[in-house]
Amino acid sequence: MAGFQELPEHHLASLSDDQLIDYMRRAREAGRHDAMKPAISVLVYGYWDTLVNRARLKLPQADAEDVAGEAVASAIASAFDGKSMGEFRSWLHTILSRRIADYLESRKRKPRTTQLPSEHEREEEVWGSEPAVEFEGDALFARDCLRRAYEEIDDARHRRVVDLYLLGPHSAAETADLVGDGMTEANVHQISSRFQKRFKELLEGGNTSE
Amino acid sequence: MSDVERLLAEYKRAHQEGGGADPSPFLARTSGVEREQLAALIDAYLEQAPRRAFDAAAFRDSPAAAVADSAHRTLAGSAGLWPVLLPRLRNQARIRRADLVAELAARLGAQSQQEKVATYYHEMEQGRLPASGVSDTVLEALGKIVGYGKDALRSAGQMPAPGGAAREAGAVYARTTPRLGGPAPEAEAPAAAAEPEEWDEVDRLFRAG
Repeated sequence: MAGFQELPEHHLASLSDDQLIDYMRRAREAGRHDAMKPAISVLVYGYWDTLVNRARLKLPQADAEDVAGEAVASAIASAFDGKSMGEFRSWLHTILSRRIADYLESRKRKPRTTQLPSEHEREEEVWGSEPAVEFEGDALFARDCLRRAYEEIDDARHRRVVDLYLLGPHSAAETADLVGDGMTEANVHQISSRFQKRFKELLEGGNTSE
Repeated sequence: MSDVERLLAEYKRAHQEGGGADPSPFLARTSGVEREQLAALIDAYLEQAPRRAFDAAAFRDSPAAAVADSAHRTLAGSAGLWPVLLPRLRNQARIRRADLVAELAARLGAQSQQEKVATYYHEMEQGRLPASGVSDTVLEALGKIVGYGKDALRSAGQMPAPGGAAREAGAVYARTTPRLGGPAPEAEAPAAAAEPEEWDEVDRLFRAG
């Protein structure tokens, strides 16, 4: 098919998610299945750690990679079905959350047929360590409290501080610079502490699992 | 700085430096509400984390390489998401492949042809067996073993919609089916349309739809 031009790996690595998916789509339409592989690799590698580590928060270690793998493949496949998915990263994480929920739901439906790894440490067949957070209900409740605490912030600049500093990769000084408008490093720490305090209050106030 | 804030900062640093950054050891240093708080903050942080820059050498040594292979088989093969889904369901059900195949053969009444069932199942996991040819009987039996619905398995096998036929020379996933007694059919040929006389019941279950 005319119009498809294979790109070298270093070029693919510089493309955005949407551009990579568009490239894969064109390669597939052109029957150039081999050309899709490097683009898939860039996308999968780029999100692998974050997906697996999110899954590890709720699932046994051994299953976290399987569920993350299925999520990333499903998300990429969805892009080829013409479904509107918005930003790929958000879509990917939404799919992961669904797969984790499916996994936990299937576990509830089926009686447990195998022991937890800690119950048979000496046996050869070990399925990995247990989940980091014991109950999915607690994890969902905690995320809901986090969302509520965030939505209670009226000032858009304060929300940006939470995004950039607490939930983002920036230091307090960088965050102050990025937000500007008189924001100081000390302000960043104060906003972050206040937010976490409120988050903890919500968690303690409504958590009935303890 | 609270313990949660300090641990979150440590986790973010570890994540940014690469190396996987498993959250478990960080969570193990807290308990109760603070543990839940830290887990939710790490979860939210990871959800916002940008795509990691590609590193070809690190990729080759990473489990992501196998996942990329499976995703490629999904897009280039003829069995949709089965290359990713089937191994995951098997692992989740804690069933070894040999045991799954034995049970599948038994459920299909094909105990004496376990080897053939094993080959077909392998092709399903590899994305090389056209999903459209696999019968409901097989999917129902498989679904009962791994705890997954027949219809959901069928849907997964059909996703995404087929793309262009492979054009590269020597394409690995050129819609082939296993050579099991009968001649290999033409690529993309509907299995039921030209059923070779050599096909037995197991062939029909896996290839005739």
